[in-house]
Amino acid sequence: MKQALSERAVTERPMIEVIGLGHTYESRGVASRALEDIALTVQAGRFTVIVGPSGCGKSSLLMMMAGLRRQTEGTILVDGRPMLDPDPDRVGVVFQDANLFPWLSAIDNVAFPLMLRGLGRSERLDRASAMLELVGLGHAGARYPSELSGGMKQRVSIARGLVQDPPVLLMDEPFAALDEQTRMTMGEELLRIWSQTSKTVVFVTHSLSEAVYLADEVLVMSAHPGRIIDRIEVELPRPRTYEMMATATFGQLRDRIWRQIRSPQPGNPA
Amino acid sequence: MSRASMLAARLLLLALALGLWEALPRLGWVDDEILPPFSAVFVTALQLLQRPAIHGDLVTTGLQLGAALIISVPTGVLLGILLAENKRLAQVCEPLLYFLFSVPKSIFLPLFILTLGISFWQKVAFGCFSTILIVLMSATAAVRSVREEHVLTARSYGATRAQITRHVYLPSMLPVLLEALRLAVIFSTTAVVLAEMYASRSGIGQQIASWGESFMMRQLFAGVLIVSVTAIVINEFIRWIENRCSHWRS
Ligand SMILES: Nc1ncnc2c1ncn2[C@@H]1O[C@H](COP(=O)(O)OP(=O)(O)OP(=O)(O)O)[C@@H](O)[C@H]1O
Ligand SMILES: [Mg+2]
Repeated sequence: MKQALSERAVTERPMIEVIGLGHTYESRGVASRALEDIALTVQAGRFTVIVGPSGCGKSSLLMMMAGLRRQTEGTILVDGRPMLDPDPDRVGVVFQDANLFPWLSAIDNVAFPLMLRGLGRSERLDRASAMLELVGLGHAGARYPSELSGGMKQRVSIARGLVQDPPVLLMDEPFAALDEQTRMTMGEELLRIWSQTSKTVVFVTHSLSEAVYLADEVLVMSAHPGRIIDRIEVELPRPRTYEMMATATFGQLRDRIWRQIRSPQPGNPA
Repeated sequence: MSRASMLAARLLLLALALGLWEALPRLGWVDDEILPPFSAVFVTALQLLQRPAIHGDLVTTGLQLGAALIISVPTGVLLGILLAENKRLAQVCEPLLYFLFSVPKSIFLPLFILTLGISFWQKVAFGCFSTILIVLMSATAAVRSVREEHVLTARSYGATRAQITRHVYLPSMLPVLLEALRLAVIFSTTAVVLAEMYASRSGIGQQIASWGESFMMRQLFAGVLIVSVTAIVINEFIRWIENRCSHWRS
């Protein structure tokens, strides 16, 4: 694992570049500044976590990285090319609510992106079942979302985000609706999957422990307008373990994020 | 309760009701001139169903019903979608539609006779008129039942507009649309049969009305039985499709 980390460092290459991004929402004639002066670079294969108070624009930023919403200023490059429209070849998205289609079985949900591209049924199902296997749901492909628990739904959703093998996975509070135990297990699972697939992950969360536990780097945002006020490199070794959460380093990192969120001190980037 | 015992209990209830129907006139508690026993009505119904004249009536009613549905359901669905997709238009039209919906359609029947005469198409037109609003309103509800997050998810996988329509809108709307179809059948059957009973030269509704007027109770009840059973069968058939299509709804 340690070796994987250093390998990653050797082949360093930016996967996501956000340059001079700003966004103003306009609703019913009232303009409101949601994002201001966002600049960030995520190296290929890194796990980046974004935290920040509610309404600071995390989801908006992620939607723009996914090409689902157009920013009013600035540029977003993914894999060197601008992100103007959704592009499943480059970016997979996992939303807070699993957003599974209730009329499709788990495996058909995972295969949905492949169906859109016109892949044949047997190839679709092969690839989808391999993905379900990866998230530990090889046995549940025939079940419908209404027959799955919250954690299982979210796994299916992750499998769906991965099925086209995009280099980037964007996750907007994917575990927010889960109880703490499930959340911990899902975090572990995600790290396992990430280490097996070498994806670039951008992950939004409200949980500070989750942020430190998962991240290579944590970006802290402030609200009104949303800015990045701190970048924190998490130099805990991988694989991360539950025991690390009790260490002093872990606690210090979490405290630093908390202080930033509680009383933001801009101009303090690491 | 298991499925089997539930079914048994329901059949028992049905048997009790029919038994009561049979017993009341047979025991002399009700005049059998007014309520003939079930067995007699059943036999009469079977006899009626062998008469070519009755076949003709059933075909006429069936054709009128079919035509009313073929016209009103697609039109209602299209108008409903248009309304759901067009906020302004919806705001303008919706109060009026709700008012219209609350007015009993039967009071317009004479108007249809005056403009279209006593004819096949008059029944069809009245059937459409009585049905289209409920279809339109259901279709609007169907569009609004499509969840924004599902559309967003499909978009994030690069779905085109056509793909979103086919793979998100359609399956989301299907259960509500089938429900609308079921209501449409109920509403247009009521309308067509009523129009036949009011003024007509043929059709099962006209037969039922004339049996009633001439106090032919067996035939009257037999007619009621035939129409009821047919309506129930159609209704249950659509419900069966609904259940098959929406086993995921829980
Ligand atoms: N479609 C929209 N139209 C107008 N304003 C919007 C829209 N979407 C978001 N906003 C505003 O932009 C700001 C950022 O919203 P966003 O959803 O990105 O925040 P967030 O950081 O994801 O919040 P949370 O942590 O609660 O999910 C908020 O003030 C919100 O009111
Ligand atoms: Mg959000």
